Amino acid sequence: MRKLGSKTLSILGRLLASKGSALALIFLVSITLAAIFADFLPLNPVAQKLANALKGPSATNWFGTDELGRDILARVIFGARTSLVTAGGAVAIAALVGVPIGLVAGFFGGWRDAALMRFVDVLLALPAILFAMAMIAVLGRSQAAALIAVGLTGIPSFARITRAQVLTLRKRDFVTAVEAFGGTATYNMFRTILPNSWSPIFVQVVVLCSVAILLEAALSFLGVGVPPPTPSWGEMLRTGKSYLHEAPYYAVLPGIVLTLTILSFDVLGRALADLLEGRRDAVIAPKAEEVTS
Amino acid sequence: MIGFVLRRLLQLVPVLLLASTAIWAMIYAVPGGPIGAIAGDNASPEQIAAATAQFGLDRPVLVQYADWLWNAIRGDFGMSIRGRAPVLELIGQRLPATLQLAVAATIVSLVIGIPVAIASALRPGSWLDRILSGWSAMALGVPTFWLGILLILVFAVELRWLPSASAYVPIWKDPLGAIRNLALPALTLGIYVSGILARFLRASLVSELRADYVRTARSKGLPERQIVGVHILRNALLPFITIVGLMMANFIGGAVVTEAVFTYPGIGRLLIQAISTRDYPLIQGCIVVILVLYIAINMAVDVLYAYIDPRIDYR
Repeated sequence: MRKLGSKTLSILGRLLASKGSALALIFLVSITLAAIFADFLPLNPVAQKLANALKGPSATNWFGTDELGRDILARVIFGARTSLVTAGGAVAIAALVGVPIGLVAGFFGGWRDAALMRFVDVLLALPAILFAMAMIAVLGRSQAAALIAVGLTGIPSFARITRAQVLTLRKRDFVTAVEAFGGTATYNMFRTILPNSWSPIFVQVVVLCSVAILLEAALSFLGVGVPPPTPSWGEMLRTGKSYLHEAPYYAVLPGIVLTLTILSFDVLGRALADLLEGRRDAVIAPKAEEVTS
Repeated sequence: MIGFVLRRLLQLVPVLLLASTAIWAMIYAVPGGPIGAIAGDNASPEQIAAATAQFGLDRPVLVQYADWLWNAIRGDFGMSIRGRAPVLELIGQRLPATLQLAVAATIVSLVIGIPVAIASALRPGSWLDRILSGWSAMALGVPTFWLGILLILVFAVELRWLPSASAYVPIWKDPLGAIRNLALPALTLGIYVSGILARFLRASLVSELRADYVRTARSKGLPERQIVGVHILRNALLPFITIVGLMMANFIGGAVVTEAVFTYPGIGRLLIQAISTRDYPLIQGCIVVILVLYIAINMAVDVLYAYIDPRIDYR
């Protein structure tokens, strides 16, 4: 445990040594803290003051006010909670389903591999945003539906990355040794191979966070994501778009926070891929380019 | 060659079949079933029974599925519940708009992406190269809906050069009007992917630049312009075709968000409307048509690639 701790610290140190990833990390930590402790901040995302509607940024409302006179900064901070929770849950679903699929497919090969990977191919047959929209059409519009829909689109990348990792480890001596000593397949997969596969999976978690936040915001922007009373960044951009003439800051400022969050996860993912695996220009996030075109 | 194409077509059948079955089953599994959407939430039991009989929803599941599949293969996705028109007709009205935008966006991204890639590959580490790597990282992070909003703010709200909502104007009827309407959505999509394109092309150019034939060409004293323009570019563009094809396929299926930003009447907006009105036949139709186009383009790219590159064995 101590050894793991020092390793984590040294990776953290090397991340902070680069200006880009240090900034990304600082931004993400502060936005996460703001989201967690939003209730203790002197901000109210639901208080309406109609007389104060669509006022530009000022000393009291740093990001201005929306069409109902609510404070946009407060809604951005509470929206961070929505975004981070949805994205985090989605990535957890994707990893919890995708990693075992990749483990089994890669470990056993043969028909199990063929069947599981065909299933994954079907998930990839549609652009992620369409697949998520179809899921929401079935589940109905809710935060849970958005979380599940985004999560399902992330399964293929975890399955593929884990499978590739298993294939490189499968014939290594320490794996065959466990087999020779009578270790069960389950033991071998989860106790021998999985602990040696953490770094690509972890990199994928960080990268997929950026994709999930983008996808969730896109769904809310389209009006099929997290339903309205809950503040969400995509929804703010959707409403802000109707007030581009009167209140350009309304769509622009939440968009900056959204973009910085996505970029920060992306920068961190690249830096980690470089540090943990020496992949410099890795093809990261296979579905990212199609997420919101 | 014909055998290769046929085999590729055959490989598509299971993917298409599985995916369309999944789409059908998803809709069938909707809580309350499609009938709730057809008859309305406040329907009386008699109305529900009538609608159930009318749409054949009282038959066994497998019969319903077989019936749907057989009709779908013949291009019949039934009637739209809200639009009271055949689903395929509604999709057919929107498809030209989506295709026109996809072509325009592809042109924009190539016009930006190719020169940038060549310039940065020839001078690695230069300011242009550094801008490119920043650009492609940004391209993945900046959401198109925000980029689109920024473009509307600058070109429609402030400068008043272009419309903020884009109508579909067929380019052969009114080229100038079509370009005015396409400019912002095509630019949004084009900026977004040009960074990705440029990075791929740069990588393949850089690896070609190190190849032996380039050294031979240089030692023969060929002008650099000819080496890059004729020899290297031709080889580097090969893998690039795959990326461009994938990108076009995504523009057709995945331009949903950009179409929404500019209220452009493409197939993506039709799908959003279908979802918000719970028009299940229309949802199924849209997704299957997009899926078919998406897979067809991917296959066309594969075949084209094998045709152009003699090193690929297509037997």
